[in-house]
Amino acid sequence: MTQALTRYHALHEAVRSRRRKPEVPKGLDALATKALVKARNLRARPAWLMAQAKLSDQLSPTIRGLAEAALDEQIREVRDRFVRGREDEALVRRALALTREVARRTTGEEPFLVQLKAALALYHGRIVEMLTGEGKTLTGSIAAPLIAWKHKHLHVLTVNDYLAARDAESRKPIYERCLLQVGAIQQEMDSAARFDVYARQVIYGTPKQMTADYLRDQIRMGQMLSAWAGRQQLMRSGAGPLVPGLQACMVDEADAVLIDEGVVPLIIARSRQEDEMSEVYRTATALAAKLDEGPDYTIDHVKRKAELKRRGEHRLEQMFDELASTGEPIWRAARRGEELVRQALTARHCYRHGQHYHIVDGQVVIVDEYTGRFLPDRSWEHGLHQSVEAKEDVTITADRETLARMSFQRFFRSYPFLCGMTGTVADATGEMEKVYARPVIVIPTNRPLIRVEMPLRAFRTAEAKWNAIIDSIAELHEEGRPMLVGTRSIEASEFLAERLSNRGLPHTVLNALHDEEEADLIAHAGHGRSEGREPAITVATNMAGRGTDILLDDAARKAGGLHVILTEMHGAKRIDRQFIGRAGRQGDPGSAQTFVSLEDELVRQHAKELRAVALRMTKGEELTGKPIVTRLFREAQRRSEAFARRGRESVLKQDDWMEKYLPGA
Amino acid sequence: MAERPTFSPFWHRVRAMKPRLRPHVQITRQFYRGRRWHVVRDPSSNQFYRLNPIAHEFVGLYDGHRTIEEIWKIVLERHGDAAPTQGEAIQLITQLYNANLLAADVAPETEQLLRRGRERVKQKATQQAIGIMYFKVRMFNPDKYLAWVEPLLRPVLNRWGFIAWLAFVIYCLAQVLPEWGTLVSGFDSAIAPANWGWLIVVFIVTKAIHETGHGVICKRFGGQVPEFGIMLLVLFPAPYVDASAAWALPSKWKRIAVGAGGMIFELAVAGAAALVWKSSADGSLIRQIAYNAMFTASLSTILFNANPLMRFDGYFILSDLLEVPNLMQRSMKMLQHLWKVHVYRLKNETPPTSSRSEAAILILYGIGALIYRVFLFISITLMVMGRLFALGLVLAIWTGAMWFVLPVGKFVHWLATGNNIADCRPRVIAISLASFAIGLGALGMIPFPDHRRASGVIESVEDPGVFFSTAGFVETAHVRLGDIVREGDPLLTCTNDQMVSQLAQVAARITETQAVEQRAMGNDRYAEAQIARERLHALHEQEAYLRERLDNLVVRAPRDGRVVGQDPEQLVGRYVEQGAAACQVIDPADLRIVALLDQHEAAWPMELGIEDFQTEARLLSRVQDALPAEVESIVALQRELPHASFSAQGGGQIETSQEQQQSGMLAKEPQLKMYLRLASTGDDDLGQWLGLPGERVKLRFALPDKPLLVQWIDRLHKLVQGKVNI
Repeated sequence: MTQALTRYHALHEAVRSRRRKPEVPKGLDALATKALVKARNLRARPAWLMAQAKLSDQLSPTIRGLAEAALDEQIREVRDRFVRGREDEALVRRALALTREVARRTTGEEPFLVQLKAALALYHGRIVEMLTGEGKTLTGSIAAPLIAWKHKHLHVLTVNDYLAARDAESRKPIYERCLLQVGAIQQEMDSAARFDVYARQVIYGTPKQMTADYLRDQIRMGQMLSAWAGRQQLMRSGAGPLVPGLQACMVDEADAVLIDEGVVPLIIARSRQEDEMSEVYRTATALAAKLDEGPDYTIDHVKRKAELKRRGEHRLEQMFDELASTGEPIWRAARRGEELVRQALTARHCYRHGQHYHIVDGQVVIVDEYTGRFLPDRSWEHGLHQSVEAKEDVTITADRETLARMSFQRFFRSYPFLCGMTGTVADATGEMEKVYARPVIVIPTNRPLIRVEMPLRAFRTAEAKWNAIIDSIAELHEEGRPMLVGTRSIEASEFLAERLSNRGLPHTVLNALHDEEEADLIAHAGHGRSEGREPAITVATNMAGRGTDILLDDAARKAGGLHVILTEMHGAKRIDRQFIGRAGRQGDPGSAQTFVSLEDELVRQHAKELRAVALRMTKGEELTGKPIVTRLFREAQRRSEAFARRGRESVLKQDDWMEKYLPGA
Repeated sequence: MAERPTFSPFWHRVRAMKPRLRPHVQITRQFYRGRRWHVVRDPSSNQFYRLNPIAHEFVGLYDGHRTIEEIWKIVLERHGDAAPTQGEAIQLITQLYNANLLAADVAPETEQLLRRGRERVKQKATQQAIGIMYFKVRMFNPDKYLAWVEPLLRPVLNRWGFIAWLAFVIYCLAQVLPEWGTLVSGFDSAIAPANWGWLIVVFIVTKAIHETGHGVICKRFGGQVPEFGIMLLVLFPAPYVDASAAWALPSKWKRIAVGAGGMIFELAVAGAAALVWKSSADGSLIRQIAYNAMFTASLSTILFNANPLMRFDGYFILSDLLEVPNLMQRSMKMLQHLWKVHVYRLKNETPPTSSRSEAAILILYGIGALIYRVFLFISITLMVMGRLFALGLVLAIWTGAMWFVLPVGKFVHWLATGNNIADCRPRVIAISLASFAIGLGALGMIPFPDHRRASGVIESVEDPGVFFSTAGFVETAHVRLGDIVREGDPLLTCTNDQMVSQLAQVAARITETQAVEQRAMGNDRYAEAQIARERLHALHEQEAYLRERLDNLVVRAPRDGRVVGQDPEQLVGRYVEQGAAACQVIDPADLRIVALLDQHEAAWPMELGIEDFQTEARLLSRVQDALPAEVESIVALQRELPHASFSAQGGGQIETSQEQQQSGMLAKEPQLKMYLRLASTGDDDLGQWLGLPGERVKLRFALPDKPLLVQWIDRLHKLVQGKVNI
């Protein structure tokens, strides 16, 4: 009976959620929204939050003196008032003081005053920026009970399954003491297990998993308009929605989840069986190989598009004519044929092994640009994946057919309550306010940051850059500093590893190919020199960026802490800052330095003209400190960010348009 | 040409749909420039959608059983590259669905339906707001009325009826044309304020007949006319009907007939009114009304309705005639396209048409319409502002905002955020700024001629009249009207028999008195002789007086000049009193022009030296010649009008105040009076015909060339001056 009730409850909430159709406001509405966000910000402005936090702090001594049973009694009372929607400012302060005490008693960590302030900001629906290593997890766990009491279910989203499981486990005592059940969604769970977890009050998970579950629910519910109408269907099939609606969401690493992942919408697809196109893709790849770059076609690396020139079109036409006799109908239609060849050209020039994808067990696996991890169940759409497979001459998989699609932006906007935490969001404040109508608040550091950021070093050629990096590594290795060296691609990490081996420097490599060893590698990355052990050199892709906590041992701390080297600038400044943020966490010493060269992809693609000017205006191999070079890199990064933002905007716009004008849900 | 990717990431949204057209939707076939199109129409909401043959085939396969995916594959199989891509198919489905032409097999969401309705209302409101110059007020459904009228007229609503109509209009023209002069002379009184009441009544009636024309013909061809209302054309009410059902008519000639229906009916009314006007008595009310009807029904029809540059009947007729649908919108798109391709050098732009001849039509029409639009805006604004300043200002600002600021705002927004220029934005912005600067520079730097106008009246410095100084019968005229005479030349000779006989009498008495005197002297009667001598003296004086008067019977030219006024020949045989006017002799050197300038115009004649500007005068009697004139003197501002013909009552343009003064009329506002003289143009001054005193003169002052921008600002300033305290 309870099972049936839970199922009906889930269905009811899911139907309610789907009827909420958020849209990005346009024109005057956009201005109004902005004004509203500002107005909301005015009430819960930082000073007010601080005052509330202080008032809450004053309650601590009395609460600290409570006996366990009395504490439980108080928690129960506060919870009941929250559930009934009777909370007011005083109650919120008391509740926070209680959860703080719970955190102290169960985990031994006592949140600081600024963390109370941050927790209050979360409770008021802010995106909170706290510097990396300032105890975001703890802050989240004292705010979460309040939100979960108020909104029934709270989804806490992080960047990967590992973090979700880890946090759910480590925070469990706090939540259980607060009369909340907690669970984490993991990729390998079946739907029964998922249903069980979703029925709890605090659910940890990754956006990908949750969006997919939500989207699958949408497909399952079909055109159901009300829960009551759909209950028959539910009883017949026995499979209702998994997610009991979207009520409240707390996003850890908000910029990664809300912004970076926003480019690619989540797609639920199934393999098509019917058409056998593999021969066609191979032919297109062969045709593409016959064309010459320059006279026949040009490549736009930024947009990842190939464009045929007139001569190329002409040559293709002749080739199609020859092919038409083979009987394949596609080559009779010039436009479709050209499209396939263009795709083959794009696959050939814009997608590189070791950077955008990797071949694992004879299959093309996409590498996520932001996290450096494999995305095993993703594939590029509309034949691009097949074109890449044809290029690599592996088995060509069947084209997948989209069943449903949802942009992450849309998913997150479906939550009536949204808050988030991150280390680096200030650059994206405007987007947060526009897309999610969430104000951003910056929380000052609790302990002073003692990370040293060494100046950018720039070189004319990549070769010179790598040499300088290796020299720098060798030098600091001598000093006994543990080092984290960030590369942009798997390819680059392997390349650097080889050079380091040649130099005789002991190192470990962390990339998508070695992800099983991740936890182990991270655990050792903070070791300094001790008897019989060299200081750690970890070469890593972005996998070691976000959320990675590298713990230092005493030797390392004495030697000056972790040193982070970035071997290339990323497309967005936030990602650089995240990576650099691995050093100097929680008051530890640390330093960081970035190396760039004029041959880097970033400047080659995003600031061609300025790069040419810089090349002409400067002399010598090392260009460190030259104003034009600094400008060049800043500009390239800015343009790359703008390009990515435009991409996200257009995804969102299309999404909204479809939702608005197409029949059916 | 833009790329057309075969696949769309949103295909899954429509793939499994099994749509069908709504049962009441009608599809008609039309041909435009030899190409087949299909118009899908929903009669209940009067929404249209135009499909090309392949799209039509695609839509035609909708049967409620096949899925979109299946249909798309069928079309792809049949047409290859010409088939719609997935994206295009989605676009098509969405538009049909949102125009309420498509029934999908999904349960429509109430919210989506409601939102669609709301959006339609909002869109309509926005359109109304943008087009405040033609604000529409819906009144009622005229169907009942039309259903009653249409059967009555059905016998004549055909080819033969049209021929008969044509014959009738030609007949009426033939009847009226001989009286062209009377017709034209009636114009002034027709637009006089006294007639406005009748004019408005007649206007509304004729326009109602006009709209009935559209409605009846539309109904005749099976179209519905669901709406009748009043459109406020620049605040002037004009009736309208919604005959858009005609767009779905398959035959182009039938569509044209509906478009022209209004004018056909109206011209028939004009013709009938012309016949009434001709046969009615002069001065009767019937004649006045008939004139009004003729005037509004023909002139307004030709000026407004037939004008294809405005979105009235003429536009739709032209659009159908050229077989170019959506002429206005697409020609604007065409111009934009040309600009984008040739100035911005953007790639991947799709022109609105692929046909060359159509492109040429779009370009020509687009340029014409653009110029006309600017012209119309400026002239309407100035007109309304001149009459109703505040309202005009509001109207001008609003329309300016809608016609200029809105497009410019959209353009700037596109510059800032347009995705199709994302990778060349700096260049596009630079080109835009440069072209704006060039345009502004051209307006602000390149001098253009600056002309001011004024009207004046010819007057003579001296009184040019010639008078009879002796009464008598005119015997001979020595000159004819227009002859050139020198001072002292005889003009007319009169006879006065009475005076001749008086003279004879006096002469006789002189002889008699001389005899008396001589006799007295001989008799030494000195006293008597003395008396006689005195009498003789008096008689001589009398004789001299009479002789002088007799001499004066020959009227002579008082000065060199030209004989004007009365023709002397006509006086022959008539008796004239002493002091009566004979004719006039005008010395061109004595003629001058007195001109009045509005006080807002007073600045430049004072600032500029007389030699800094050129003046041209056109006499009303010989408007074909522009005669050079020179400013003689500028008199200060005054309110007295030097001549009645300056006043509004006298046919001029200056409003007079009600207060009366002995010397004449007073203008409401002070006027700058200036005297000008026509410069001599030939060797023989007298050989030139230089007008008559009292004749009106149009003056044009050519000021030093000034950039257009400066001129406009100056003009606007003057318009605002005195109305607003700045």
